[in-house]
Amino acid sequence: MKPFTYERAHSPAEAAASAARVRGAKFVAGGTNLIDLMKLQIEAPAHLIDVNGLALDRIEPTPEGGLRIGALVRNTDLAAHPRVRRDYGLLSRALLAGASGQLRNQATTAGNLLQRTRCPYFYDTNQPCNKRQPGSGCGALMGFSRQHAIVGVSDACIATHPSDMAIAMRALDATIETVRADGTTRSIPIAEFHRLPGDTPHIETVLQPGELITAVTLPKPIGGTHIYRKVRDRASYAFALISVGAIVQRDGTGRVALGGVSHKPWRVEDAEQEMPRGAKAVAAKLLAGLRTTRDNAFKPPLLERTLAAVLAEAKG
Amino acid sequence: MTSCLTLAVMHEGHSITTIEGLGTPRNLHPMQAAFVKHDGYQCGYCTPGQICSAVGVLDEIKAGVPSHASSDLGAPPEVTAAELRERMSGNICRCGAYSNIIDAITEVARRQS
Repeated sequence: MKPFTYERAHSPAEAAASAARVRGAKFVAGGTNLIDLMKLQIEAPAHLIDVNGLALDRIEPTPEGGLRIGALVRNTDLAAHPRVRRDYGLLSRALLAGASGQLRNQATTAGNLLQRTRCPYFYDTNQPCNKRQPGSGCGALMGFSRQHAIVGVSDACIATHPSDMAIAMRALDATIETVRADGTTRSIPIAEFHRLPGDTPHIETVLQPGELITAVTLPKPIGGTHIYRKVRDRASYAFALISVGAIVQRDGTGRVALGGVSHKPWRVEDAEQEMPRGAKAVAAKLLAGLRTTRDNAFKPPLLERTLAAVLAEAKG
Repeated sequence: MTSCLTLAVMHEGHSITTIEGLGTPRNLHPMQAAFVKHDGYQCGYCTPGQICSAVGVLDEIKAGVPSHASSDLGAPPEVTAAELRERMSGNICRCGAYSNIIDAITEVARRQS
């Protein structure tokens, strides 16, 4: 680990201002991803701003009938919250499908959205990686790419976003609230929050330097049957090969978001029009423009079958 | 939680229980005694973590925290082998003492209830 300085922030605005002032500063909350990456020197922040003391750990109803989830709410507490279990079951299910109990006890809502990829070439500092070292190339394109993305990919990067929680947030139309270094706030719809890799895979979100997430807001619940199905190489404690987060209404209409297929939580609203016609039609639109490698060509048929299973389960 | 993914400086003033805080060789915690009785280890490398997690898992089930293995999000979770396997999945045992670990935790849970 490289030497770094450390401070505890006392307000969101102070944390954002401090991050903008000190070059190479990073926020730390749960630390379950950042500290791992610091040990491998993939992340080497010069300064850590501990935001755990900010009072952003509450889950509160909004005047619109939704829920405002503080940035520091731990994954375990969010999944177990009575309103989330009752009205946003997809979110509970997605959280519980991710990581392990110990990690969920530490990991925060905001940190979960900001997870770095689990691409093995990103983790191996002996390999080229445009995300870790812009311009160095991509080891995965011609390499071992079983886990990798099949939609929204570029010649620079085929990494996936590893979050399960974010898939549910995308299907639920969450909004991300932030404070910037100058103290101003803004709300970012989750659809616009994560970026596709393009030529700059090292830039993963639309956050500006120093911008701090303060909360994630869910609109009022839409009912329906909530299902999160995650396909992985072992039954627990593994990242998704693919995952399907779905909310299905009685008439067969609904929403679908996918994990394990792209650099961001993947949702194509247009594809949802096809839901009453079945999995094949939905999958075709979800995966329009897909580009697979030799190793991950199994994902499109796996997705169609998983989607079919989810739609069948929703029918009961 | 895992001590390897956090910094000590982030926990100033916090109360932290490690395996040393659960029991002593002369006065074992019930979970430690159950691991000995059921042979819930072989080399012992993962045992402190397994026992700390097992104590935490039973507390979380008692508190009604759901898991990936819970079929109904609205119902209180039960102590079943499937629940324990899912909730203990963050602790790897390369000797493969898993089935004896489940026996040990099940016995402690039964005695608690």
